[in-house]
Amino acid sequence: MSSPLFERTVTALLQERVICEVSDDELYNYLLLPGNQDAVNRFLGQINRTLRQTSARDAFVCAYLDTSDAETREAIRHQFRDVANNLEAFVQFLRLVMMLGANDRPVLPGDKLSEGAILERIAAAPALESKLRSLAEKKVFHTKRADSAGQIRAVLSSLEKMGYLKPVGTTGSLFRATGRWSWLYDAMTFIQAHEGIQATEDADSEQMRLH
Amino acid sequence: MARAQDAHSTLRALAKYGEAILEAHLRNGNRIPDSDDNLGLIETLEHHRLVWRIGESEDLQLKKVLVQFLDHITESERRRYASAQVHILWQQLSELFQEYKEAKKRSALSDIDRLEGEIKECLADVIEDIRNATEAFATYINTGFAYITDLHLRIRENERVIERAGRLITLFESFRIRELAEQAGSDAFLKRLLLRHLPATLESSQKNLSYALNQLRKMLVRMREDQRLSRMVGAFEAHFINNRGFEPSIDHLDLRQVPESLNTVAPFQIRGFGDIYDSADDLELIEIAAKARTVPADIEDKPVPDGVDTVSFDVAGETETEDDDPVEDAIEELIQLVVDGALGEGAILASEALAGTGLRIDKADWLQAIVSEIESLPDGDQRHIEVIYHQTPHWIYPDNVMISDLTLKHNHAG
Repeated sequence: MSSPLFERTVTALLQERVICEVSDDELYNYLLLPGNQDAVNRFLGQINRTLRQTSARDAFVCAYLDTSDAETREAIRHQFRDVANNLEAFVQFLRLVMMLGANDRPVLPGDKLSEGAILERIAAAPALESKLRSLAEKKVFHTKRADSAGQIRAVLSSLEKMGYLKPVGTTGSLFRATGRWSWLYDAMTFIQAHEGIQATEDADSEQMRLH
Repeated sequence: MARAQDAHSTLRALAKYGEAILEAHLRNGNRIPDSDDNLGLIETLEHHRLVWRIGESEDLQLKKVLVQFLDHITESERRRYASAQVHILWQQLSELFQEYKEAKKRSALSDIDRLEGEIKECLADVIEDIRNATEAFATYINTGFAYITDLHLRIRENERVIERAGRLITLFESFRIRELAEQAGSDAFLKRLLLRHLPATLESSQKNLSYALNQLRKMLVRMREDQRLSRMVGAFEAHFINNRGFEPSIDHLDLRQVPESLNTVAPFQIRGFGDIYDSADDLELIEIAAKARTVPADIEDKPVPDGVDTVSFDVAGETETEDDDPVEDAIEELIQLVVDGALGEGAILASEALAGTGLRIDKADWLQAIVSEIESLPDGDQRHIEVIYHQTPHWIYPDNVMISDLTLKHNHAG
């Protein structure tokens, strides 16, 4: 007897989706129950995959169980390259959001992002406008639109397509951040340690004060 | 007189904007956002010298005098230093009990009466202060220290509040209610306060405090994580600025022991066929199949090629005569000749027949058309034709043969 929630959960995991409260409320709740986690893991284990949680424990992802196979390792490298290629653009976006919120805190799963609110803040600060322009020139967010509204829309739409944001309501201008950010921060933490990128408190505070 | 008028005007202004001022004091860290909505409020408070700010872009702050007044009327100060306040009252209470004990020993009746009254009042204050002290922590949890914008300062404030809650819990645990109750003598009201109201207040306050402490600790963990992420973003930003074109790579890693954060699967499609072997699914499959064949939605939008204005379809019953194909006629005639035995024992080469027709057609096409025509004949007619293939093996692939001509003759055995 098949279970619709089990099928949907496993299919979503195998499709590389990050399951969290925002992106897939129902599937996330299903996975919170240990019995369901076991059932999913038993199935995934038979095809060399396993269920994992992000370090903030707010999202589930599917991972390879055994990575000794060359094809598996190449798949992991490919996934990593996707992040590495767009990392600079993501960092710029996070910095822009931190400046907009003026709260010293990057985007976290569940946070709301409103196109209108962003536009309002940017209109009041020309420095942020140039940051947005630079962001819209990045390959992953690229747009030919020269106006701030068009550029914000392009950036938010790209993030929605990549699964980092989920639209709220029907206006298409309000979004909520998904658990994919948690996964990105985990990947960034690894890159930071692996590449020896030092976080200097003073430099960081200075960056914030400049704006 | 003018001074009194100014004071009246200030008090009226405070009354008029009381709600906004209280909101700023209780929820916004004494800050008033510099927005159009607050224009009237800001102008009034500036006029009465009750706000200040450093830069034009900064929010306005309530002045110390006003904050002190607000502290007094909202009892914020009393709550903030509640642990010290309760501690003092508790000491006072212990001293009163000592005096009470002494007065009883000496049978000083009027002093006993006076002290009983003072003990009751002090005890009521202790109970109220304990309640106030714990309620203050709920406010911190509700606001999440959002009125402090700098993450580092917010963390420090959170740590301070946790310390304060911890001190209060230690203080509550140090109370020896039983010892005091024994000294309460036979006064029923005093006994009720000491044995019922005070323990009940203490118990619920301890419960609330433990919950608040737990929430505050969780908040602190979250804030520290926010701070770590914020610093990480800053570090990456600086690294990208200092190392143009930097792109992290793991190509040199073996990945036999892949870090968890990198281990995510490539998309894996799960698809299956509709079960056409199980008749139980027939009805559903028929329905799906019926919908599967659809005319593309954009067919009408396709551009019409130049020179084709309209396309007219056949009218039912209408016939259209087709021109005779000379090649087909010639082949039919040739085959009929062979089938009928008009050649007798003789034979005819397909290439010679083509030359005789005068048709300008490729020889390979001619040969292929003859073979097709023979294969489409009824079995009876086919048996009357013998076809001999003139063939040579291919020079590279000898399994393949090259046909150069056909010899056709009547088969008398057919």
